[in-house]
Amino acid sequence: MTQPIDTSIYAAVTEAIRSEAKRILSEGQVSAIVGYAVARRKGSAQPIVISDAADVSKLIFTPACVNNLSVYLTKAKKEIPKNGKIGIVVKGCDLKALVGLMGESQLKREDLFLIGVPCAGVLGSVLQPDTELTSDTIASKCRECGERLPQGCDFVPSVTLPATPEQEQIYAAEIARLEALTPAERWAYWKEQFSKCIKCYACRQVCPFCFCEQCLCDRNKPQMVETTPRPAGNFAWHVIRAMHLAGRCAGCAECERVCPMDIPLNLLNRKMAKELKELYDYEAGFEVNDKGPLASYDDKDDQSFIK
Amino acid sequence: MSRIGVFICHCGENISRTVDVERVAREVGQLPGVAFSTDYKYMCSDPGQNLLKKAIQEQKLSHVVVAACSPRMHERTFRKAVEAAGLNPFLCEMANIREHCSWVHEDKEEATVKAVEIVGMMVERVKKNRVLPTITVPVTKRALVIGGGIAGIQAALDIADCGHEVILVEREPSIGGHMAQLSETFPTLDCSQCIMTPKMVDVANHPKIKLYTWSEIERVEGYIGNFQVTIKRKARSVDEDKCTGCGVCMEKCPVRKIPNKFDCNLGMRPAIYVPFPQAVPNTPVIDRENCIKFKTGKCGLCQKVCGPGAVDYEQEDILIVEAVGAIVVATGFDLYTIDEKPKGSLIKGYGEFGHGKIPDVVDGMTFERLASASGPTGGKILRPSDGKEPKQIVFIQCIGSRAREKGISYCSKVCCMYTAKHTMLYHHKVHDGQAYVFFMDARTPGKSYDEFWRRSIEEEEAVYIRGMVSRLYQKGDKIVVMGSDIAVGVQVEIEADMVVLATAIQPQKGADTLAQKLGISYDKYNFYSEAHAKLRPVECATAGIYLAGACQGPKDIPDTVSQASAAAAKVMTLFSKDKLEREPIVARVKEAGCVGCFYCKKVCPYGAVEEKEIRDRQGNLIKVVAYVNPGVCGGCGTCQATCPSKSVELDGYTDEQIVAMIESL
Repeated sequence: MTQPIDTSIYAAVTEAIRSEAKRILSEGQVSAIVGYAVARRKGSAQPIVISDAADVSKLIFTPACVNNLSVYLTKAKKEIPKNGKIGIVVKGCDLKALVGLMGESQLKREDLFLIGVPCAGVLGSVLQPDTELTSDTIASKCRECGERLPQGCDFVPSVTLPATPEQEQIYAAEIARLEALTPAERWAYWKEQFSKCIKCYACRQVCPFCFCEQCLCDRNKPQMVETTPRPAGNFAWHVIRAMHLAGRCAGCAECERVCPMDIPLNLLNRKMAKELKELYDYEAGFEVNDKGPLASYDDKDDQSFIK
Repeated sequence: MSRIGVFICHCGENISRTVDVERVAREVGQLPGVAFSTDYKYMCSDPGQNLLKKAIQEQKLSHVVVAACSPRMHERTFRKAVEAAGLNPFLCEMANIREHCSWVHEDKEEATVKAVEIVGMMVERVKKNRVLPTITVPVTKRALVIGGGIAGIQAALDIADCGHEVILVEREPSIGGHMAQLSETFPTLDCSQCIMTPKMVDVANHPKIKLYTWSEIERVEGYIGNFQVTIKRKARSVDEDKCTGCGVCMEKCPVRKIPNKFDCNLGMRPAIYVPFPQAVPNTPVIDRENCIKFKTGKCGLCQKVCGPGAVDYEQEDILIVEAVGAIVVATGFDLYTIDEKPKGSLIKGYGEFGHGKIPDVVDGMTFERLASASGPTGGKILRPSDGKEPKQIVFIQCIGSRAREKGISYCSKVCCMYTAKHTMLYHHKVHDGQAYVFFMDARTPGKSYDEFWRRSIEEEEAVYIRGMVSRLYQKGDKIVVMGSDIAVGVQVEIEADMVVLATAIQPQKGADTLAQKLGISYDKYNFYSEAHAKLRPVECATAGIYLAGACQGPKDIPDTVSQASAAAAKVMTLFSKDKLEREPIVARVKEAGCVGCFYCKKVCPYGAVEEKEIRDRQGNLIKVVAYVNPGVCGGCGTCQATCPSKSVELDGYTDEQIVAMIESL
């Protein structure tokens, strides 16, 4: 049954972001701020970078602010030594990506000013941005969210988060369904999903963890992944992507959102995260400089998978 | 264009029996890039190597593939030969058509096809091999010896006598190990203490030996010639520099009734103690679990009576780091605990023999302590339950050993001999007593060993019964031993006063954990593995680490001492050079692709990855990338496997080479 979600905090959050952004920009604490602004279509939002305190009124926070802005920082990090600190508006889910990037030496905490935003959820689809946020229209990732209030930020607007109604756990249900299938049936399922892939690499471009300057998929000596969108190459790309994200992806689900062919990419990521949790009691995105279970060895590690 | 030479070895008949070597030579000769191919009966022999050298010069070969055995066997041999012929040794690769092909297949046709493919893969790989310069690294001429039993003591003394510093680490409060516990030794019956303690004193007095007792290995980093070892010195609660070993603390300690492990729990010791009077160092240690001061905060008597003020309750565990060039592992053995069935272990236990339940059923080491002049009974053989002299004693051999159904299939090697010795010691001390031995086979290979065993039967009147015991039980103050005499084919029942079990020899507890710290391999029983069972019996597969004594397999004292001296000789061979040549198979970072995530640094077991700043001409930082120190890199390839952007590669095993190999199939 459709239940409404209280979105009254968004206006207060927007106000708070603007005044904090004005303060840090005019005091010269940061050289620029990455945030969200109104986009062309009614109700929609888009990323924006502002560097002038006069522009702070452009900043907003609404249920249409779906993007994970941390992806901009892996590109912008080279500017930091020249221009100084960067401010960024982060939701709890996006913050986990930033934490991961700090652990992988891509960003330094002292180079960032984190404006954390309390979030009641974002829209699952922005094809029709001017939609009410309800238990039906909310994004799948938000239904399993445990980080509505980001921790450890430099600034977080003080608002009271509304209670969230009961929602259907889409990923957990889908993983359980796939786990119940036989390996052959699962193979068939993913084969069909991956056959849709057109190798546009939007999933790669939007992912904060795909920060390699030269992706191994673009290498041709030797060629690791077939470049044309044919079954073998598609499979190789998506399996490599899932494996590279295991123990790192914290579930911003941007890959799934941007996929023009609607491949359930975050489902694979969530399954990997579930494995990590079960095998090593590890969840990505909570601790900086953590080696992570896949980069460390402990003689007490579960070795039952070696047969 | 490559001019590759391919040399196919028959390995006597080892390969040619199942692989048509002439056909392999013919077919690979057709591959693009192969200029020459031939086969020979023994490529590794002198004429074989000459054939290779001659071909390199006459055919102007650019690369070489030798199709023969495992590279672990002869890669160095052939690379040396290639170098002698004027080619860079790393332009030579081996194709393993013995272990990977002829030995594991029966069908000649199929094996031949597979051999052609294996050689074809290596041809593709060698095409992309680069000329690599040899790397030289300095050698730290100090050795670490782990374990202060007879093996560790012998190795440490031999190395130190050659003028090199040795760090000897022992887990217990004193060195001496199991040999210090023994009463007499076979086959000469000389007193173990009398031959052992002088060596212990030599260790203590040797200017080149640094002794760390009550210490354990915490971490091992580095590689041959350059190890950094972190040693945990457990808090002794007694300052070794101040203590004079007067022993007043031990006399005054009010806690007196703690079973002494050294005496197999038969004798008692105080909470501040040395395990035995001849301990080296003669510095007591406080057993914090049993000390009143540590339990309640009261007492403190030992500190009050200590003249030099050596007792220190505040002492803490400390970690020290020592740089060494070579490591000798001599951690020794432990006895199979037959009443235990450790969870997840191979061992099934011998609950039916009542060990741990019937007090007069003891193991061989307990009997040693009873027979020892310095033991808890002063050398009188008295049974633990009531202190009476046993008049009928039964020895049972092969407890745990050679019992596949109990989880151990190997022979413990020393039990036949020590049981014969036990019957003699018993006969010497209990003149009117009778010893019986249940045995499967008497295994007595060794100088004067069989004569010794025969003596126990012919002169010392031990009765040997060939057969196993099925059950033991207590009846009054007797133990009824039920067994069979298979030589006669009858059931035997003996009412014994005492039973001694010759329990199997096992590696020390924690042997596997230590092996993981050292990066050496071990078998399913946790015995450490030598590099080659016949030709490299004291070296580990990990360079710079050597084995001595029972940690590698059951051994008696003469074998242990021989192996310890052999390990010392290997260490000295290493220390005879100032620089060590090592294989240049190391990782390299392709800086253009490196994005500086440093996963390689996180996973590198050698600590070889460093951070390197890339700057432009004005000095502006462009990015930080990974750099592999070639002197430290061990060439394991873990970084290559981990790098998400494939920006680090191991020379000789590049992605390009591996893919070329796969694509050749």
